[in-house]
Amino acid sequence: MTKRFIPILLSLLAFLLGWDLLTRFSGIPNFILPSPLSVWTRFLKAMSDGSLPRHTAITLTEIVLGLIVGVLFATVVGYMLAKSRSLEKVLSPYLVASQAIPVIAIAPLLVIWLGDGILSKVVICALIVFFPVLVNTIVGVRAVPTALYDLMNSLHASRAQILWKVEAPASLPVFLGGLRIGATLSVIGAIVGELVDAESGLGFLLQLGDFQYDTPMVFVAVFTLIALALMLYGIVRMLENKFLKWQS
Amino acid sequence: MLRKLVLLMLGLSLMLTACGNSKSANEALTHIRLPMGYIPNIQYAPFYVAVEKGYFKDAGIEIEFDYKFETDGVALVGAGELPFAVVSGEQVLLARAQGLPVTYVAAWYQQYPVSVIAKSELGVIVPQDLKGKKIGLPGLFGANYIGLRALLNAGELTEADVTLDAIGFNQVELMAAGQQDIIVGYAANEPLQLRAQGIAVTELRVADYAQLAANGLLASEKVIAEDPELVRAFVGAFLKGLRFTMDNPDEAFEISKAYIPNFSELDANVQQQVLEVSIEQWKAERLGYSDPQAWENMQNVLLDMGLIAEPLDLSNAFTNEFVP
Repeated sequence: MTKRFIPILLSLLAFLLGWDLLTRFSGIPNFILPSPLSVWTRFLKAMSDGSLPRHTAITLTEIVLGLIVGVLFATVVGYMLAKSRSLEKVLSPYLVASQAIPVIAIAPLLVIWLGDGILSKVVICALIVFFPVLVNTIVGVRAVPTALYDLMNSLHASRAQILWKVEAPASLPVFLGGLRIGATLSVIGAIVGELVDAESGLGFLLQLGDFQYDTPMVFVAVFTLIALALMLYGIVRMLENKFLKWQS
Repeated sequence: MLRKLVLLMLGLSLMLTACGNSKSANEALTHIRLPMGYIPNIQYAPFYVAVEKGYFKDAGIEIEFDYKFETDGVALVGAGELPFAVVSGEQVLLARAQGLPVTYVAAWYQQYPVSVIAKSELGVIVPQDLKGKKIGLPGLFGANYIGLRALLNAGELTEADVTLDAIGFNQVELMAAGQQDIIVGYAANEPLQLRAQGIAVTELRVADYAQLAANGLLASEKVIAEDPELVRAFVGAFLKGLRFTMDNPDEAFEISKAYIPNFSELDANVQQQVLEVSIEQWKAERLGYSDPQAWENMQNVLLDMGLIAEPLDLSNAFTNEFVP
């Protein structure tokens, strides 16, 4: 276990060292590229005054709710599309087209339509999560071997039994792959919403840092977002390890 | 053969790099990319006029307008990458508080351009009337927030006396849709747009209650130290454009049309009013002059808001040295 982390730690140390050397000898001012130490100092300050935990909690709430809504919708719609080619033919052009819409451009409109509370951020987050999970759900369900259906049919299994005993477990590896992408993208979704009407959350801290030329604060917010994305990714990996043990 | 090709490419790239440098080859003009901080707008008429009337050219300057974010422009000037930027007053102090070597060299707006706009039926006439009200503003940052805080201070109110609602830059749409009754915006924008839509509003102009350092020209300490004549020439040409625009608003309006994409799609009457209101905010006995008291006041507001931690040496933040 410890051995597994040694290369990661070494690469992290090399990254920090390179970054530090760059800020020391390149002559780049601190407000363009702050040193690792100044970012760490700013992090400690934001922790001690409570601003970072407070804003992180708000963003995390939006992410979790957005993920739940996005994944639920994507799974239901994805399953329906996987089972019905005609429905897929009708809906897929719209679903693909929806992915061409830059969310950042429609985010202000969503704030007008849905209000400037948490709802607009959750919806933006859900929109971003939706597509990768949807696609993987369709692929996963369609990839279930026909032989398994034949077996279940020969046993006179009901629709629900086929879903729970065959389709769900068989499509789970691909579905969780989509969830992994969706979970990391959900962080972007929440931030896009927070950038539109900045009042709280890590998006607000980013804007405030930018407005005050407090670049170390911008870096602290960015690293916190990275940490959240890694955490969500890690949770999905844990789910994979738990539910896909049978694969190995 | 390959070596020759590489040398040829190197030579070409050097030539292109030389072309991109500050002096343009044929006319020996100093090329300046100027971050404007906002999209092309009729309010930039003095700059457009200064180009069209040849004031910048006469000063040996070729201008390229760059409509990037204000904070990005300030950072580039602070890093010495660009010599000048168009910025609002608070940005200068916020930047200097973080160690950016920048100085404000000419005032453009003499009045802080932010207003609180309320539906007429609310009867918001003085800042005290805001007590207990919900106020929509783009976010808890930026000129809108600072202007509002100055106005609340003038009415002896604090943020705890009102409810602030961050709504993004959707003030007009949300007020027109009935979702907001009081908003913060720019005197030369939101009130005019709302009235054009037939919505009766009252307006509390920050400038009527607090004299704050407003928009103007920022220069890097580097260009001030290395090429003060360029700063003088740049400020002089801009102020000529400003004077002309104030004296000949109709001609300035016509000139500006060509600089604003899709101008024909905009409401010409509203645009005309935007320019009129802006000109009111530019008026000064000595164009370009920075009032030290306005900087003192701005610093006090920022200190009060906690946006800067300690008082700055304001003598480095602005100068009237380059103002004719």
